[in-house]
Amino acid sequence: MRNTLRLLTLLAVLAAPLAAEGGSDTKGKFFFKKTCKACHAPGTPAKEITPLSKTQAQWKAYFAAGKHKKGAEKLDSVLKPEQVKDVQTFLVNHASDSPQPETCGG
Amino acid sequence: MGTIRMDRRLFLKAAGVTAGAAATTQVACLSYFKKGRSAAAENREVPTTCELCPNKCSAIAVVEGGLVKKLNPNPENPKSRDMLCARGNAAIKQVYDPDRIKKPMIRMGARGEGKWKEVSWDEAFDFAAKKLAEVKAKHGPEASLWSSTEGFQEVFFKNLGLAFGSPNLVRHPTLCLASVNLAYSATFGTVPSFDLLNSRYVIMSGANRFESIITPDTMDLIGGVMERKAKLIYLDPRFTVTAAKADEWYPIKPGTDLAFILAMIHVIIKENRHSKDFVAAFTTGFDELAEHVKQYTPEWAEKETEIPAKDISRIAREFADAAPRSLYYAGRRSSWYQNDFQMRRAQAILNAIIGNWDQVGGMVPNAKLPKGEFLFMPWDEPKAPRVDEIEKHFPLAAKGDGVYLKLRENVLSGKPYPIKAWMVYKQDPMNAMPDQAKTLKMIEGMDFIGVIDVAMSDMAWYADVVFPESAYLERTDPVEVMAGIWPAVVYRQQVVKPIHDTKPNLEIVQGLAKRLGLSDYFDYTIEQWVEAEFKELPIPMAMEHMKKHGVWAASGKPVYGKTLTPDFRFVTKTGKIELFSQRLQEAGYDPLPAYTAPVQPPDDRFRLILGRVGYFTHANQTNNVWLNEFMKENDLWINPKPAERLGIRNGALVEVASSVGKVKLKARVTEEIRPDCVFMLHGFGKKSKLQSLVYNVGASDAVLLETAWDKVSGNAAFHETFVKVANA
Repeated sequence: MRNTLRLLTLLAVLAAPLAAEGGSDTKGKFFFKKTCKACHAPGTPAKEITPLSKTQAQWKAYFAAGKHKKGAEKLDSVLKPEQVKDVQTFLVNHASDSPQPETCGG
Repeated sequence: MGTIRMDRRLFLKAAGVTAGAAATTQVACLSYFKKGRSAAAENREVPTTCELCPNKCSAIAVVEGGLVKKLNPNPENPKSRDMLCARGNAAIKQVYDPDRIKKPMIRMGARGEGKWKEVSWDEAFDFAAKKLAEVKAKHGPEASLWSSTEGFQEVFFKNLGLAFGSPNLVRHPTLCLASVNLAYSATFGTVPSFDLLNSRYVIMSGANRFESIITPDTMDLIGGVMERKAKLIYLDPRFTVTAAKADEWYPIKPGTDLAFILAMIHVIIKENRHSKDFVAAFTTGFDELAEHVKQYTPEWAEKETEIPAKDISRIAREFADAAPRSLYYAGRRSSWYQNDFQMRRAQAILNAIIGNWDQVGGMVPNAKLPKGEFLFMPWDEPKAPRVDEIEKHFPLAAKGDGVYLKLRENVLSGKPYPIKAWMVYKQDPMNAMPDQAKTLKMIEGMDFIGVIDVAMSDMAWYADVVFPESAYLERTDPVEVMAGIWPAVVYRQQVVKPIHDTKPNLEIVQGLAKRLGLSDYFDYTIEQWVEAEFKELPIPMAMEHMKKHGVWAASGKPVYGKTLTPDFRFVTKTGKIELFSQRLQEAGYDPLPAYTAPVQPPDDRFRLILGRVGYFTHANQTNNVWLNEFMKENDLWINPKPAERLGIRNGALVEVASSVGKVKLKARVTEEIRPDCVFMLHGFGKKSKLQSLVYNVGASDAVLLETAWDKVSGNAAFHETFVKVANA
């Protein structure tokens, strides 16, 4: 198992340039829920944030600026640099003007 | 900057879970493996959640001596209230069905021959994992297809497909309600509920709601109509139970509902009866709409629909005058025609312009309740594009659901790439998809087929390995938020231990994942999953509450008008309700619903129309012994005029033939259907001998139905088949 994981990690490094265009929605959701929602949830001092909090253009602008806490700190001091692209992908994909039709269950 | 590869160490670090804790809890799931009924006699009541249809009503199971004796409704759920339908009651017979798959089985003879060998779980897992690995090694992970239908444990199956590396998950919506979901999402950014309990004027097209699915909102509608609070206008080529209870029934010419709706919009706008304040504040594109519908006069619609123009005009006026407590009900039915998305869009637009949005008796955006989420280790996204080419052909459709019929076409052609393994969970594509011969051809092309199901469906009958899933009364499932006018959180907990050698889907997925080297992604138990969900329920002692009550419904009172504020943003491109859709225009579709007359059958043929009854909403329910008592065989409805012309007498055996198949059925000669249509019920004529009550009894509509789909959503179009009928 360990060898398999090493091999997969190596393959991922080799494949990285291919994946650079877009992050991972699945991983972005994980990091968003784990990191961002730790503070930006109902009942916490920080304002609640969901993907619907901004439009796609607003999320893109937010990540382009790369600032957190109204500019007080860099975004990659909160999220690891390699996680930022994934979270951006998740938030843009599910933004308030995103074409995400509802479905049954699932 | 690229996405990072997640491994177990990184995941555990991120998730804050210790390996020791994870390992300890793995052991806990072994409690499910205990076989047989409880040795000790016991009488108890266990609240749980029904799984016999998508409504998910709350139920209380009465257990005596380790056996489920009765299922009662759970009045604590405001959505299901004190109701449990025939199907819900019959769930007991799902557990104690002698036809059930009792152990894992591997096929011995040819596919569909019915020769099976009972095997251990290890043998079944090893066999399936070997076959899946072979396909992956030869063709890549994308050569595997993962088909499923909605259910609380569906998430685990989907996740296995994704973790395996396949983009090819295909779910039930394009065989069900995808056109409705997409049309309402494109207009309002969401799919609302319909406040039937409080509506005063309801129009329904072909959704035979009094008969085809009996749930509490059916009862609301019946109550409303029977107490004369609501007027019901019903359009259907067939005289159904709903038609019998409606104030007005119009046997509309099939496929022309869109003309009726467009003419209604024409009248309402021309006579200035729309809600001007609402339209100005919350919608966009009204001027384009007004210009667009000028052509669709009631007189024009009369020629298309065969509904008198004066009635269309009067209904339009009554509908607008009853607003906001009036609604054009989307209903619970699948797509009938290739223009179904645009017909649904027109419904949505008609509702919007009278201002029934978020109003008592109108359409209400679904309220939700908070629930926690178990954070599992995420995998790398599949690299290959989807085999159904959804981005190219259906750019606005739900990507995670896929498009079933286009997918089958591509699999049969081998393009853009081959599919060689097919895993199926809780679904019967043999009967759910039109054109069974094509589905059989698709099956022939597979190197491997594995099916997870409670019963031996026709799809399972053609599999190479069958994994028997525990019935819902035998297992604990993830917690579900039932969004709606009366939102509730529901919990399905194990009522009795599995009586056969079956497992819940999660454990089947874990058994496969272990052998496929994917265990890290499924390193949790159902107890851990559910505990995480309970954590964020805003009630004290959430777990204890849910185990004791099976449901939490907050106040249980509906809330109206939350979205009717100037700064509310709808989840659409413009942030408004989109009467005119720029997004549709950019994707190459009509931005406003445009009418094209449907092709009508030639003189020697009939349009085949389908439907359901409340005890057989799905094909898998006809083999339930209690439900089968209601109806043992389906027949073919045919109008007396063509029947006389063809010499067909009531009860005679007839051959029904389309361009893709033929079946034999008994004729029901009845005035209750238009002369240009014939009708048959879904769910009979099974090929599986372990569907013993309906094996070779009656006929399957899937044999006759031709492949056709709605242009925008990809939803199968089930009323586009013409058939010949003759004495057999």
